[in-house]
Amino acid sequence: MVDALGRIVGPRWVRHRRAELATYTMDGLPTRESYPGVVVMPGSTAEVREVVRLMHLTGTPFVARGAGTGLSGGAVADPDAVLIALTRLNRILQVDPRRRRATLQPGVVNARLSEAVLPHGLHYVPDPSSQAACTVGGNVAENAGGPHCLKYGVTTNHVVELEVVLPDAAVIRLGSRQGEPWGPDLVGLFVGSEGMFGIATEIVVRLEPIPSSVRTMLADFSTVRGASEAVSAIIGAGIVPAALEMMDQACVEAVEASIYAAGYPTDAAAVLLVELDGGADAVEAEATTVETILRARGAREVRSASTPADRARLWQGRKKAFGAMGRIAPDLAVQDAVVPRSALPDIMDRIEEIRGRHHLAISNVFHAGDGNLHPNISFDRRDPELADRVQVACREIMAACVAAGGSITGEHGVGSDKIDYMPLIFDGDTLSAMRAVRLAFDPDERANPGKVVPLHACREWRATPAAR
Amino acid sequence: MTTAERRYGGPSDPLAPCVHCGFCLPACPTYLATGDEADSPRGRIVLMRALERNEIGADDAALAQHLDACLGCRGCEPVCPSGVAYGRGLEAARERLFEERGLPPLARAVLGMFRHEALWRPLFTAARALRATGLPRWMAGAGRTGFGMGMLAASRQQIRVGATGATRDAMPKHVTLSKAKGPKREGGPTVALFKGCVMDTLFRHVNDATRRTLEFNGYDVLEVEGQGCCGALHEHAGDRETAAALARTNVAALAGSGDYIVTNSAGCGALLKDYGHLLHHDAEAAAVGAKVRDVSELLAMAGPRPGAPLELNVAYDAPCHLQHAQRVHDAPLAVLRAIPLLQLRLLPDSDHCCGSAGIYSLLRPAMARAVLSSKIEAIAAARPRPGIVTTGNPGCLMQIGAGLIAAGLDIAVAHPVELLDESYRRLDRGY
Repeated sequence: MVDALGRIVGPRWVRHRRAELATYTMDGLPTRESYPGVVVMPGSTAEVREVVRLMHLTGTPFVARGAGTGLSGGAVADPDAVLIALTRLNRILQVDPRRRRATLQPGVVNARLSEAVLPHGLHYVPDPSSQAACTVGGNVAENAGGPHCLKYGVTTNHVVELEVVLPDAAVIRLGSRQGEPWGPDLVGLFVGSEGMFGIATEIVVRLEPIPSSVRTMLADFSTVRGASEAVSAIIGAGIVPAALEMMDQACVEAVEASIYAAGYPTDAAAVLLVELDGGADAVEAEATTVETILRARGAREVRSASTPADRARLWQGRKKAFGAMGRIAPDLAVQDAVVPRSALPDIMDRIEEIRGRHHLAISNVFHAGDGNLHPNISFDRRDPELADRVQVACREIMAACVAAGGSITGEHGVGSDKIDYMPLIFDGDTLSAMRAVRLAFDPDERANPGKVVPLHACREWRATPAAR
Repeated sequence: MTTAERRYGGPSDPLAPCVHCGFCLPACPTYLATGDEADSPRGRIVLMRALERNEIGADDAALAQHLDACLGCRGCEPVCPSGVAYGRGLEAARERLFEERGLPPLARAVLGMFRHEALWRPLFTAARALRATGLPRWMAGAGRTGFGMGMLAASRQQIRVGATGATRDAMPKHVTLSKAKGPKREGGPTVALFKGCVMDTLFRHVNDATRRTLEFNGYDVLEVEGQGCCGALHEHAGDRETAAALARTNVAALAGSGDYIVTNSAGCGALLKDYGHLLHHDAEAAAVGAKVRDVSELLAMAGPRPGAPLELNVAYDAPCHLQHAQRVHDAPLAVLRAIPLLQLRLLPDSDHCCGSAGIYSLLRPAMARAVLSSKIEAIAAARPRPGIVTTGNPGCLMQIGAGLIAAGLDIAVAHPVELLDESYRRLDRGY
């Protein structure tokens, strides 16, 4: 296999020695580890296709990987699988400012795309917190979100066309520059499929004009409940902020101790970051309303970023928060769940109750406007008893979110980390239907096998005891 | 138990805060060049941890290859939200590799040469003589020999002076400044000049410019005998013992001299400031380290005094060991802003490593050139094109200079103090 891959991409771009493979055992979630069999780094679409053809001919499972910043263990391969790293496919192929489209390879880093189109007064809206490192290909696989998805939608709302290498090495195009030319939304189906349907080798995205006026406000609260209630109150007033983010005290303390210190008040129980954008007059009017609501819900102080640098600083603190958690403990269980916005105050109380009962360190940093929670549990995995408590607490948090009418993932995907939670929200028939869709793209189930859909929970698996 | 093992593990483990978020990836020049996790800070931390836990041995070729391929630029440190002390981790890993595996022959030869002044001084003096023939500039090009010749050619004084436009290659070797000429304040701070090895030979013109610009800004510059190479190259290679021996020589020479110790080489400055750590918190070494300043820091502290206008288009490139290791960002810009009409620009990737990294470019020319290429491309694409690239480290001056020659670009390289020196010369005020 190593030689065969070497003949396609050149021996220089095949990694098979144990030490090299060790660096590919995890993605951004270090609690899920597995050595891939081989890592291959194709340098062109043609090479991707040839690699996938080899996988097809030899019946080898494969996993596509970008920058490996995902948080659900999705871009990790088992020893019988080949990991296809797409980081070398990092060219922006075309920018069409008039039609506001960009065509790119999957390994282009999210933030680099926005930088490249900035001279045209445009940007690529989905901005996951890892945007400085993560690739657009990975964003497509996970249907990545980000703070600004509250107003502008997630990745699927910004991808219009895809070139995909299917697991049998067929190359197909989905969608078009103008969007879906016919019938069902096949681009939408592919986006968020977590690498199970094939490998996107060319991505055409929608670009948006940079808003003429932006206001970023920071409000601090003495209770988490007050901040949570303010979130619903803002949306209830008919305002859709560009972003509406919340950080609790533990998170603020970690950020303020880091190089990304943004001047968040460390004595607040929670802070809200509210961004409004649009025409200058509308932004001014909305800002007044938002400030009134924030103060009515108990905000101690509300301040606006005065300069673009100040605004960038407020955002850097928020976006790098997850990476700053190493200051609390060496390991981190990153969670991602969604609840209806109105349930936020109660679920935050519930998380606090779970934290206290299990004696854990939990920090919260999340997209409050979407009700997309990220409770992060800091721990040291060298303490197995503590690690067990973390797992129990994670499950309790998930169950609580589902009970509140929510979901087990907002934007990090299911991967391997959340596969066991899938039956909490989907019944056997639904999971079987999902599997059937996957089989349409990948009849041999070789693309990112063992992820997302728990086979044991599918209806047919349950119906056939022999399969067990 | 090796030194490295003692310094790993436990609550002071410099790598412990890494949560594998990957925010360091876009800051790593080698990852940008290959796209390979094993060439990224996060991947190397995995390798260092495996080495620490003896899961992978120091004799593992793949592990050594990817740890050796680290430039040691520490560009990953300022972007790490958890404050992982990557440099300290690398230092420990390299010590362990050095202890158990030794060095490849070329590295051993080069580092052995820097160990003894009786070796490096004649060699660099001969190199100067070769440079003066003009042959290196003529032979400079894109091939391996051509690039080496380009590096030597790039070390010459390149900025032009006077109406005749003659270069200053023919300047006297030692410029003795009359103290009375400068506007020295009575009781102004005294500064001991750390002369260095490359700086005292190939870049003596920069040492001279350092003296003159400091004197003009009210410092009293002292000559201190008995110094040698700072030991940074040995320390980067994991040869802590030789680095410590060289450090002890310098500490003995410099202890007690001057209110400050000045260096114009970012790489030397980073280690000089760290002498206390290198010599296990020896009080005298720590005291010497605490007095060390980059020349730009001292000039910025003093103003610096404005010079005469130089109508030049200048791109500043930040040396890694100044911006990341010493955390000095604004001082070199303050030096350049003291020159009226000088158009100062920071080009894309100007804060990325150039691939020089001590003797790295000699040992791993292919990776060093791959790392350099994006910087040269950014310079070539800049409009208007800069006339001079300025940076405060000898390795960077030579690497970028050679890269510009290899790319056929007629752009000079110069240390920021050379530009300030030139600007002061034109003041016509007895400078």
